[in-house]
Amino acid sequence: MTRAGTRSVLIYRGDLITGAVTLVIQVVLAIAVWRIVYSGRGPVNGVDARTAVAYAAIAACLQSVLLPWQFSSLPMRIRNGQIATDLTRPLGLIWQVLGQNFGVLLGRLPLGAIGLAAAAVIGALMLPPGWGAFLLSLVATAGGVVVAMLCNLIVSMVTFWTFEVSGPLIVYRFGSAFLSGSLIPLWFMPGWLRSSVEWLPFQAQVYTPVSIYLGRTRGGEALALVAVQLAWVVVLALLLELVWRRARHKVVVQGG
Amino acid sequence: MAEQSWVRQYVILQRAALRAQLQYRVNFWTTLMGGVAFQGTQLLFLGVLLAKFGVIAGWGFPEVAFVFAMRLASHALYVVPFGALMLTDEIVRDGEFDRVLLRPVNPFLQLITRRFSLMSLGDALLGVGALIIFSRQAPVDWDAVKLAYLLLAVLGGGLIETGIATFFCGLTFVVTSTFSLRIFADSSITQFSGYPLTMFGRTTFYAFCTVFPMAFISFLPATVLLNRTSEVPLPTWLTLASPLAGPVVLALGYAFFSKMMPRYTSPGS
Repeated sequence: MTRAGTRSVLIYRGDLITGAVTLVIQVVLAIAVWRIVYSGRGPVNGVDARTAVAYAAIAACLQSVLLPWQFSSLPMRIRNGQIATDLTRPLGLIWQVLGQNFGVLLGRLPLGAIGLAAAAVIGALMLPPGWGAFLLSLVATAGGVVVAMLCNLIVSMVTFWTFEVSGPLIVYRFGSAFLSGSLIPLWFMPGWLRSSVEWLPFQAQVYTPVSIYLGRTRGGEALALVAVQLAWVVVLALLLELVWRRARHKVVVQGG
Repeated sequence: MAEQSWVRQYVILQRAALRAQLQYRVNFWTTLMGGVAFQGTQLLFLGVLLAKFGVIAGWGFPEVAFVFAMRLASHALYVVPFGALMLTDEIVRDGEFDRVLLRPVNPFLQLITRRFSLMSLGDALLGVGALIIFSRQAPVDWDAVKLAYLLLAVLGGGLIETGIATFFCGLTFVVTSTFSLRIFADSSITQFSGYPLTMFGRTTFYAFCTVFPMAFISFLPATVLLNRTSEVPLPTWLTLASPLAGPVVLALGYAFFSKMMPRYTSPGS
């Protein structure tokens, strides 16, 4: 399933190339915006221009890998009745979908890498403050990936009840683009907004890994953020299990 | 006479499409919210950014929000009647377009009435709301002429987005998948057209006036209303005429679409 997922991304090669080119343009524009916003200004909330620019670049790339538009084939499978065949496979449905999603993610990794390379070329990237921060940010990225996949799958599950899922998926997509800190880092949010965002799983997807990588969150605080990620993985996995248990009774095979 | 029947056909097909979408009631509400969330997060972003930094390239929140509102209202004028153009990729890839060609109705008309995008109603809601709120807050002394210009500008902006989308549909006949391009166009317009576009430098600005004519959507007409045309590296009369770019871009897009349509090949053959 994973391999099929990767292939489903890689097969439209033209699309992938335009995807890469357009990501580069967007990363460059995002960098320009932050540079202009900061022009002639010292650190804001203790964050200097370089850090803010690097954050914008990395977050845009991470976001494009984590939240593709066509992520899961689950809603489509439910709608056209394919789900019946999927349910008879020896591997559980959840694992099939997660495998496929993971494949899509792998297929999109080169995109993210190209975006990062472009940011590096125009001097917008920064190295992490040390090996510790770098390694921890890798762990946090993995954590972010798992949280993103679980959230996505839970939202897709809504299809079992409503058949159409484009609405919830879009609310989720844009909600999480903002709440995960990929549009604007949590540092710049007003206090009330920031404290509410910290209670949601989204910051684990983008803000946690990037702020650890840039050394904005260090030591005990960084470890705490990773621990929060883990907690979310557990909570979301339980939630998914619960939703799936109920969904199973709701399966309607269309066209069968 | 022919014109009339064209409109009638549109109304009949669009009504059927809307009915089909209204079947799923939960989806109706969540999709409506999707439209609001999509654009709302962008407004929230501008709000948070400008609350922290005050101005971007000399433009404060009232100005930026006004451009944003104009853009959103234009966007609604594109997605409500023409939003279904986004599905063209799918229709061409699945060979569904064979059926479109068999019917005695203009193919373009069939494509735009393919499915009614409920999300567009969310866009319209937010767009009209934002335009009413932010045009009052913008530093503009409104009179009848300026209001008329605003309406023309919003209409023109909608036609530009429609023209770009139509162009991509033409491209679909040749390259099958234009998904990334569409998303790029859409998200670039969403993310960046609210800023004073001259801030990206002259070359990029000219690109936004030609290759990817996003500057005409709301930025150029907004500089007229906000009395900031001196910031634009274009002759003033040209900036003033920017609402006319809409029909031009749409005509070009449609010409390209018609020219590429014969190159459609059934995927099964």
